Amino acid sequence: MSAELQAKRGGAALVARGLSVEFGAVTALDDVTLEIPATASVALLGPNGAGKSTFLEAAVGLVRPRSGSIEAATRRVAFVPQHLHVEAAFPATVADVVRMGRYGELGWLRRFGDRDHALVADALDALGIATLARRRFGDLSGGERQRALLAQAVAQDPELLLLDEPLTGIDAPTRDAIGSLLGRWSEEGRTVVVATHDLETASRDYDYVACLNRRLIAFGPAATTCTEEVLARTFEGHVLRVGSLLVDTAHHHHGSG
Amino acid sequence: MRTGALAAALVGVLCGVVGCYVVLRGMALMADSLAHGVLPGVAIAFALTAGAAGSDPDELAITLGALAAGLVTAAATSLILRRSRLREDTAAGVVFVFMLALGVAIVSRVEGYIVDLNSFLFGDVLGVEGGEVLTTAVLTALVLALVAGLYRPFLLLSFDRKRAAALGVPVDALHMVMLIVLALAVVVGFRVVGALLVLGLLIAPAAAAALLTRRLPAMMAVSAAIAAASGPLGLLVSWHLDLAAGASIVLVAVAAFAVVVVVRPAPR
Repeated sequence: MSAELQAKRGGAALVARGLSVEFGAVTALDDVTLEIPATASVALLGPNGAGKSTFLEAAVGLVRPRSGSIEAATRRVAFVPQHLHVEAAFPATVADVVRMGRYGELGWLRRFGDRDHALVADALDALGIATLARRRFGDLSGGERQRALLAQAVAQDPELLLLDEPLTGIDAPTRDAIGSLLGRWSEEGRTVVVATHDLETASRDYDYVACLNRRLIAFGPAATTCTEEVLARTFEGHVLRVGSLLVDTAHHHHGSG
Repeated sequence: MRTGALAAALVGVLCGVVGCYVVLRGMALMADSLAHGVLPGVAIAFALTAGAAGSDPDELAITLGALAAGLVTAAATSLILRRSRLREDTAAGVVFVFMLALGVAIVSRVEGYIVDLNSFLFGDVLGVEGGEVLTTAVLTALVLALVAGLYRPFLLLSFDRKRAAALGVPVDALHMVMLIVLALAVVVGFRVVGALLVLGLLIAPAAAAALLTRRLPAMMAVSAAIAAASGPLGLLVSWHLDLAAGASIVLVAVAAFAVVVVVRPAPR
């Protein structure tokens, strides 16, 4: 482990203090205090409407807290929202979409340099979509689109990655690509926060789990945090024990693609 | 006629490029609302500058009046959206009918001078003079420079508002700038094809180009070419068949779109 990485491991990548967000009369987040350790991978676990998306959007300044604060320790933050409203005929190739990831750092006018081109090429490779680079984004399948959007985030070369339900409604190759990326990102010392309602992957694939249902129910190492009691409070009773497996009955009909 | 053809071609380039954003962002109703929203500005400028002796109104004043009214339309729509949870088409629709009714009301009060509603609604490309062509050329160059300079943020905004904001684009401000650009295109365009039909030059060429291209710069180039060619071609059609000029231009643009829809290979 490099000295730089070791230094990073001590600190926090994302800190929320008493974070509350309201939309009109609806409380989306209520007094959430949470420190996400740098270089960790964290599953943000909770049912629909638990405020997972709101938490991530607040982290990048898309929604304003009513009180409290949330702040990232780095400016290099990449956010992949859950939904994409794009015209099927949108005139951009897959490579164009990934190149957009560089616009944040380059600004509106600065030209692409060698490093930018390399980051875009690496991102296309990392998600296994280099062969699709010249295809129109709108012509891709759902899983391929998701990989292109993840590649866009990878091309930002972020220190903190925020992914909102990246595993919803995608195909097996995409799930595998995301799985291997998560591992690589952790090794590279990037912090990854993934919003998910999938109990199984949350407790298996991540260093930490944060259980959220408008309030923070529990936060800790994945292996010890997801107790039955915590999950019952997180999913408000929509959890069944099937053998050794915990099933979230509010979601299992979604399937996993 | 030659002056009119030049003006129509310039307007085509402008509307062809700006129309790409209208198509990509689903702003057709907003564009139509802006096109009709300019009427009160035109009417007031006309009333103020057309002399008592029935002298011609000042063209620059009319252009500025139209632009001001277009900006009021855009700003009012944004204000309604910010203060309510209405859909954009509802907000734009309310402002649209208000501005149109206000314009007609003003026209009805201007004693002695009936604003030529016909040329407002349907354009007056053959009445375009040399000086106006220069104004049109300058405005076209200005808008194209803006679109080039704001290429990246406009692309991000059109692709996905949330991602754009997360990448540091000031999305609300940029949306306002895009509406201003659209208002400029409408103001330049309504003189040639009229307020009722300027939407045709914004939508039809860009829609045809969207079906033919894979990347935004290519879409803009194809759209501008179709729209620019529609101007002179439409005037020829209008002259030979004795049809209204503005309508002929839009008919040519829509014909180009129809041809593309029919002959292009169907999507996979």
